[in-house]
Amino acid sequence: MFKLKVSDAKLLRDMATAISILVDEATFKIEPDGMKLRAMDPSRVAMIDFEWPKTIFEEYECAEPTKMCINISELLKLLRRAGKDEAVELSLDEKTGRLQVKITGKYNRNFTMPTLEASEEEVPTPKINFNVKAKTTTQGLSQAIEDAQLVSDHVRIEADSEKLILNASGDLMGATITLQKGSDTLLDLEAKENSKATFSLSYLTEIIKAASATSDIATLEFSTDMPIRIDFQQTKEGKLTFFLAPRIETE
Amino acid sequence: MNMTVVSQTAKTGTSDNWLSNLVKNSCSSAEDSQIVARASQSSLCVICKGSRFLCGKTRCPIMLKVNFFLKSVPLMASEDIDGACPPSVFIGRIGYPYVYAGPLVPPVHEDTSLYDLPEQWFGRSMDEIVGFRSLLIRGKHRVHVQKFMSAGRILDQTRELALAENCVDTELRLTKKPRGSIYMDADVQPFGPSAPIRDLHVGNARFDHRVEKAYYDTDLRATNAVLELYERGVMVTKIQKAFSVGAFGLEKNRRFVPTRWSITAVDDIISKNLSEKVKTFPEINEYRVYESVYLDNVFEILMIPAQWSYESMEAWYPGTVWNLDGKGVAIYSDWEGNSGRTTYAQIGGCYYSARLATCEQLVKERRQATVIVLREARPGYIMPVGVWQVRENVRNAMRQKPYLFNTLHEALKLIGGRFEIPMQRWIMQSELLKRALYQRRITDFFTGGSRA
Repeated sequence: MFKLKVSDAKLLRDMATAISILVDEATFKIEPDGMKLRAMDPSRVAMIDFEWPKTIFEEYECAEPTKMCINISELLKLLRRAGKDEAVELSLDEKTGRLQVKITGKYNRNFTMPTLEASEEEVPTPKINFNVKAKTTTQGLSQAIEDAQLVSDHVRIEADSEKLILNASGDLMGATITLQKGSDTLLDLEAKENSKATFSLSYLTEIIKAASATSDIATLEFSTDMPIRIDFQQTKEGKLTFFLAPRIETE
Repeated sequence: MNMTVVSQTAKTGTSDNWLSNLVKNSCSSAEDSQIVARASQSSLCVICKGSRFLCGKTRCPIMLKVNFFLKSVPLMASEDIDGACPPSVFIGRIGYPYVYAGPLVPPVHEDTSLYDLPEQWFGRSMDEIVGFRSLLIRGKHRVHVQKFMSAGRILDQTRELALAENCVDTELRLTKKPRGSIYMDADVQPFGPSAPIRDLHVGNARFDHRVEKAYYDTDLRATNAVLELYERGVMVTKIQKAFSVGAFGLEKNRRFVPTRWSITAVDDIISKNLSEKVKTFPEINEYRVYESVYLDNVFEILMIPAQWSYESMEAWYPGTVWNLDGKGVAIYSDWEGNSGRTTYAQIGGCYYSARLATCEQLVKERRQATVIVLREARPGYIMPVGVWQVRENVRNAMRQKPYLFNTLHEALKLIGGRFEIPMQRWIMQSELLKRALYQRRITDFFTGGSRA
């Protein structure tokens, strides 16, 4: 049994959009101190780690830890109906097992939707020693990724102590995008050793595009041929982190 | 430039025209105006005259057509065709929404049902298929696709034919003697000469009661009608036939659908639905390779133990149907991820018919997999016979016992050995193979950076 109220519907909608990039059926853990989700996409290439402490909510009631699984794109349909300053309240009707979505603002709307069987899978976090840590603006990052997408479907990300390079090569065209340390886009860069890894652009673009709505600053961490960790710093509290496994071309 | 080997146009110099002479010598009864043959783009055919295979094919498609054409000449002597309709109808696409619709009637009185039943054709030779298809004479009647209900008796009867379960005795009265070459197309089964319809008499047709029920249900959407009939065991080509004459859908939306569009529409509707089911099943446990060879089309179908996604690739040798002038092998590919696709596949109808055949197998087994269909069209595939070839060829592959492997590399080694095109060429063109080979999973890194 729980009841959560978010004063700004947009906040919840943007977060649900970011989650929907990877998962259709999302199992949220609703605990006394906050709401959590950790899940992989169906092909197990990418992973999302999301947390909202109870302080983000205008009202947060949760007596005991609960799991709630919902179809995230169905929820998004409802949230899209909410205007900018409208509040959203989520609560579970224990008798029917349905989720109630109450949108209040100019007028009141009360939707119900079914909950699904919660997944029992416990997803751990990958154990990786990262050699590079780069802090970028999300706007600059998504621009750079869009540049790379013009020519290829994957991108090699390289870093030394001075700069971050995105290298894409397609069948016919190629692109090299350089972000210098201390520029408007690359706010900070630490590299223990020179590293490079290749990632699928279809995942990267979608993740960055959706997560940018929730955040202005992204921190990239990676090592040679290891997964990349992208942490989107939330404007309020909360955590939104993605992991994406690399492509390794071997003969 | 299209070189037209036509005897009716004397101005092109009939005396030099080897093909028309050949036709004339062997059959004097045919009228000149009834014979039209078109050779391929280059003038190579004139030098070759069907004997030296300069185009790179193993047999001359023109000679094959001519042979069967000559057989059907006596049948074309009359304006009145009287025979057992398989049943079969054809809706053209030229001039859409004003299209030519009408029945295909062979001038024979026997059980002709095989003439329009691709499900039963697998294993038959190109000669056999072209043989009976070229007996089918096409009646044509111009109609607006949405106004077919009020278009008169000829089209009412055409629609009845399309819904019929068995052969129907049909009298096809044409305005003139049928003429034309044997019609060949990538999507559509070949058929013979054609002429406009003067009148049409159709005997008593018995309807398939399942199809009939959907026909009279004017509140049932076309998609649901197709799926329901498929689930109740109606053959895909029978559904497609009824689909093309506007027998399904909400009443106000019903319309004639050109035959080649209807084939792909039905394949797409069914396979999309099946793939949704496939996505709910557990993944297969091993790498599988299924094989089938028919009409010099080599199919290797790879199933990868992963979530549902699908790719169809085809390689055309120089000189084959779609790569006439090419110097090298041309490889085309199209794919979809787990969530399917919204745009039409570039490689065309065979993408959807192969998807249907592979989904059928996975649903039967209640399993999920990533499916990659690889097709090598060799020079022996001298002319297109329709996408049924792909559907039935892949279905045949699915009926075989697959080769099982523990690793992708072993599976690719087998496939590489079957094809003449090196595996590396296929991998370069294949999005899903590249993903399977190069993309790591996040689960590989849960135990401290081990690499699978």
